[in-house]
Amino acid sequence: MADAPERRFLFDGDARSARPGETLLGALGRGELPRLQRSIRYHRPRGPVCGVGYCTGCLVRVNGRPNVRACRYVPSDSDVVTTENSWPSPRFDVYGIFDYLFPGGIDTLHGFRRPAWATRLYHRVIRRLAGYGNAPDPATASRCPPPVRTASVEVAIIGAGTSGRAAAARLVRAGTRPLVLDRALAIDPVPGADLAAGTTVTFLPPPGPAGFTLLGFEEPDRGVEVHARRVIVATGSYDASLLFGGNDHPGVFTADGALAMRDAGGRPPFRRAVLVGGEGRTDTVLAQIPEYVDAVVAPGPIQPGLTRRASEEEIPLYPRTLLVCANGRSRVSSVDLRSRGGGTRFSLECDAVVLAHRRLPNSPLFFQAGARMEWRAGTGAYFPALNESLETTAPGVFAVGSAGGFGPAESARSGEHAAAAISGAATDPTPLPRVPADGPSELEGYYRELWREPRAGKWIACPCEDVLLTELEEASRRGYRGIEVIKRYSGLGTGLCQGRYCLPDALLVLSLLEQRPPPGVGYITQRPPVVPTPLAAFAALDATPEAR
Amino acid sequence: MTPLGRSSYRVVVVGAGIVGLYTAVHLARAGAGPIFVVDRGFLSSGASGRNGGGVRQQWETAATVRLARESVAAYRRFGREFGYNPWFRQGGYLFLAENEPELAHLRRVHGLVTSEGLPSRILTPEEVARHIPGLAEGSVVGGAYLGTDGTLYPFPAVWGVYEAARSLGVEVALGVEALGVDAPDARLRAVLTTAGRVETTAVVNAAGGWSAEFSRRAGLSAPNTPTRHEILATEPMKPFLDPMVARLSDGLYFSQTMRGELVGGLTMRDGVGTEAGMPSSPRFLKEMSRALVRLVPRLGSLGVLRAWSGFYDDTPDGFPLIGEDPRQKGFFHANGFGGHGFMLAPAASRRVAHAVLGEATDLDPNLFAPGRFLDPHRSLPVERLQLG
Repeated sequence: MADAPERRFLFDGDARSARPGETLLGALGRGELPRLQRSIRYHRPRGPVCGVGYCTGCLVRVNGRPNVRACRYVPSDSDVVTTENSWPSPRFDVYGIFDYLFPGGIDTLHGFRRPAWATRLYHRVIRRLAGYGNAPDPATASRCPPPVRTASVEVAIIGAGTSGRAAAARLVRAGTRPLVLDRALAIDPVPGADLAAGTTVTFLPPPGPAGFTLLGFEEPDRGVEVHARRVIVATGSYDASLLFGGNDHPGVFTADGALAMRDAGGRPPFRRAVLVGGEGRTDTVLAQIPEYVDAVVAPGPIQPGLTRRASEEEIPLYPRTLLVCANGRSRVSSVDLRSRGGGTRFSLECDAVVLAHRRLPNSPLFFQAGARMEWRAGTGAYFPALNESLETTAPGVFAVGSAGGFGPAESARSGEHAAAAISGAATDPTPLPRVPADGPSELEGYYRELWREPRAGKWIACPCEDVLLTELEEASRRGYRGIEVIKRYSGLGTGLCQGRYCLPDALLVLSLLEQRPPPGVGYITQRPPVVPTPLAAFAALDATPEAR
Repeated sequence: MTPLGRSSYRVVVVGAGIVGLYTAVHLARAGAGPIFVVDRGFLSSGASGRNGGGVRQQWETAATVRLARESVAAYRRFGREFGYNPWFRQGGYLFLAENEPELAHLRRVHGLVTSEGLPSRILTPEEVARHIPGLAEGSVVGGAYLGTDGTLYPFPAVWGVYEAARSLGVEVALGVEALGVDAPDARLRAVLTTAGRVETTAVVNAAGGWSAEFSRRAGLSAPNTPTRHEILATEPMKPFLDPMVARLSDGLYFSQTMRGELVGGLTMRDGVGTEAGMPSSPRFLKEMSRALVRLVPRLGSLGVLRAWSGFYDDTPDGFPLIGEDPRQKGFFHANGFGGHGFMLAPAASRRVAHAVLGEATDLDPNLFAPGRFLDPHRSLPVERLQLG
């Protein structure tokens, strides 16, 4: 591959190149932090956060197509890539003036009502601020409709991670040829199984008489429809975000994002990160990029194994510490911390914050399929209720791996277990422990303490839609209760990530404001599609009643 | 359950959607007395929080045009009246005709609308294309356009009337279901709810998709049918499309919201009844996407962000039921809006309030009276411009 030619493309008019297979984000980063975006309402500087195709930090326009995620796009020769939602550039954006002009936020619910004659002007300005990119260029239309991929299989496995692969291998042994679908642009083969890489299942409705219909797309816009008798959901988990002042500044990453950008660029786009978390995921990050971590800050206690590793690397530890805010503007330059229980507030210089404090299941498909979900307070997330075959209450939908609440040690075995149950084979009687249903919720107490901190600047409760924490508080003060109403009141969770990043913390915040446990606050209906799916992909699929 | 502030009310309104809350506001402003609003869900959980936000004055009958025109005026001043900005943007409503009979239909509508003093226009295909950048060539033979129609963002309108109602002393109990009425003789005595018995002599059925069910619970047959309609929103874009676009043939409609999303749906008559809830279907996502991409091919690469559904409360003749039920004194209807309750709410709810207060309304009883369906020999106009 070393001799393969580089792909040459234009980025905002400059000639750039990408190695074969390298993503656009990797090619634009190469160990630095690329500036690609401004936020939707206040035009705050934003950088890539999640690295796995959910956040809005790396949206660019490619060949006239808006909102392409640079982390999921492999450039071709003569691609034309431009930045969106900023003028003249993401580094200096004139519209950023709105962030300064409205330090307390723009109140579009109550503001801009007077005088009546200014209505049209208000509409023009506010409409102009909304949206990321322009409508697709007319020239992009010629590629429609794209081809489709359809399949009819006995078992579809969504996710080609450890548990999904284990399930696939076990099914193959039992004589079934499963179809494994995964978002990853490239996946290693599973002998005897069919694979669909770069394919995202975005809609898993409850089964009909003939079984399941899965809808999705293959990058960039090929429609995918799979009919399956049974579905194993092995969608894994992701690193959660955290609320603090300046939590949306460039340089704040999830652990997923930091590692993905390290993989893409050869080294991470930072030198001196503050790593947040005190458990296994933090240990994983520390094991992989210790020389780029300056300190470990944990909301709760720090596990002994992590302590040992950190001391070997001479990295200072701050257990039971509040991350109050990240400072800097165009990039994180320091963080303010305070020891929990009323310690003194202090600062650490850094050029990144890496969030590895909790992992959450990728669960929207379970909700869509109609499976009964159970709140597990220790994780602060919903997991599907499962029977001994690891089948959810939606008959035919099985949950394995971390999406099903199984830890790394049980991941492969959970996949084999579900596959064996589907095959009618004997299953391993050894119990499969899941994440505990109860347990201390470190973050609930953490946020209670963080609430007492004086706040400066905007705290962004929902980065996709630039919803401020103060807007949630205002809604609550006015008597609106429950996440479904707060979502409609504030717009929280209605952006491109559909609540994946903001919802888990919003539940805890509302639990404090409404003085009831998080399940009492409710949950946002997980609407299809899970991630934005091109109209062309759905349009190309057969809509005749037989194909339903 | 919310404990009741008192045991007896002048009026109980069933349904805290835009129609029920607006009615409560009109009643409270008229000094009707203690008012109680119950809703089985949370605020905006029904069609008031699920609609596409269209407000149009182009209809087939003068009576509806007038109600719509009054509602447009109400939404124009809504922000100053209620303290919440619904972002009512008068970007116009553009009806598309794909063949000459449809265009003739639009011409008739245009004739009526202009005779009511509204400046609607018949457009050539070229003029239509100027309103819809990227319209597929040859996809229309013409259109009808009224620039003062528009779209709004439904949620702030709900919050506005909700807070106005509360500040006028109206009690609103959310998560409380109306189970029926107690009317042992000709007189209404009480409404029965999951929060207990509520004494009253007047109940307003503004339950939207669930209104036929509540009528039946009160022992009254109802002509309305709840029909599930689906809708989707795309990723937000910079301003691209000004008018709400609606097509006669399949009920395709879409507009670009203030937030930049394209929001729209089309008619699929296969979801009757509320029992199955409000799911989305693969078929809708495919049909809607196909209709949109065929009409405006450049949109193909745009992502569908989310899809949801809600209930139209359809009547056989396309007119709502407004007024007292002739079979049960004290039982008032404010339902059957057929997916157009939001756009007609300000004007329609004012008539409901008048009826409750025993005042005469200006509504043609042949079109709006709830009892019109009781006459088996009835042969009266039908409003067919129901879309989406």
